[in-house]
Amino acid sequence: MTATVLVPNVVSPVVVGLFLPAVFTGIIVGLIGLLSISYQKNDLHALILTDIVGIGMLIIVASVGTDLAESLVLPGLVVELAEIMAISEILMSREIRKQGKTVDLMPMPLNLDMEVLTTAPIFFAIILVAYGAFLSGFTGGAIAGGGILFYVITRLARGVPANIWEGLAGASGIAWCLWLVGFLIFFVAPDYWLLALFLSAFGVFIKVTFKASLVGVMGREEFKKE
Amino acid sequence: MLDIYTWFYTGVVLVIIGSIGSVIGPGVNDPVIRTLNLEIPAIGLSLILLTYNSTIALLTYIAATTIITMILLRAIVRLEELGAEL
Repeated sequence: MTATVLVPNVVSPVVVGLFLPAVFTGIIVGLIGLLSISYQKNDLHALILTDIVGIGMLIIVASVGTDLAESLVLPGLVVELAEIMAISEILMSREIRKQGKTVDLMPMPLNLDMEVLTTAPIFFAIILVAYGAFLSGFTGGAIAGGGILFYVITRLARGVPANIWEGLAGASGIAWCLWLVGFLIFFVAPDYWLLALFLSAFGVFIKVTFKASLVGVMGREEFKKE
Repeated sequence: MLDIYTWFYTGVVLVIIGSIGSVIGPGVNDPVIRTLNLEIPAIGLSLILLTYNSTIALLTYIAATTIITMILLRAIVRLEELGAEL
């Protein structure tokens, strides 16, 4: 089974041969997910089933089979994650309003009193941030951000001053601009590709790291509530 | 033998059977079981990404699917805490 579209020579014939089966699989899985959502009455079940549609979308993206697929899978995943997060929050707040009673922000009794949380965080954070800075890019940002997230969650201090929030958000915005400038240099002045590469890689690294550490600050506000 | 098509079509079969299973499989009226059933198409998608050598996409997908499962389980636990009908 071969694809009848124009394919550049650099794409391996195995990937070209797998294109149509992969696309059909994606469409079948997407149809299964969408049909089940349309028959589903309960909102929570419909939210869980949107995951199937996301998997179908990822299969179609992956069927491209080159580096383009890798670069397209990442935004697809991030969008799916944000969508599920937002809809689950909406479901919960609607249920809270419907019942008209006040509930805790975090229902589980999270009494985090383990020794590893007082001795390990600095070591973990340093190792993860150093390794993330070595990797750079989106993956490095995720790893370094995970280190900072763990560090921030386990520290005992409560109440973050507003200017720290705004400073982190502003720094991540500036890093995002560096990323955009890097991409612009790729197209405007291709001779400086190394500069553009490093601007993009470290811009997105700093941005993802700061975003993850903001999530850590939020998580600490929830965990250390009592 | 175990060539590239084996992994790819194993992934395809897992994805399709797993998604059907999480739609009409046994015990899916419990949202926890439905969420856990979703891991089977996730494994299938991982095999497909592995076939295409998309290592970074595979790593990001594993991380993201863990976070998605955590978010869904948190939503289920909180809605059950509130006494909503599931």
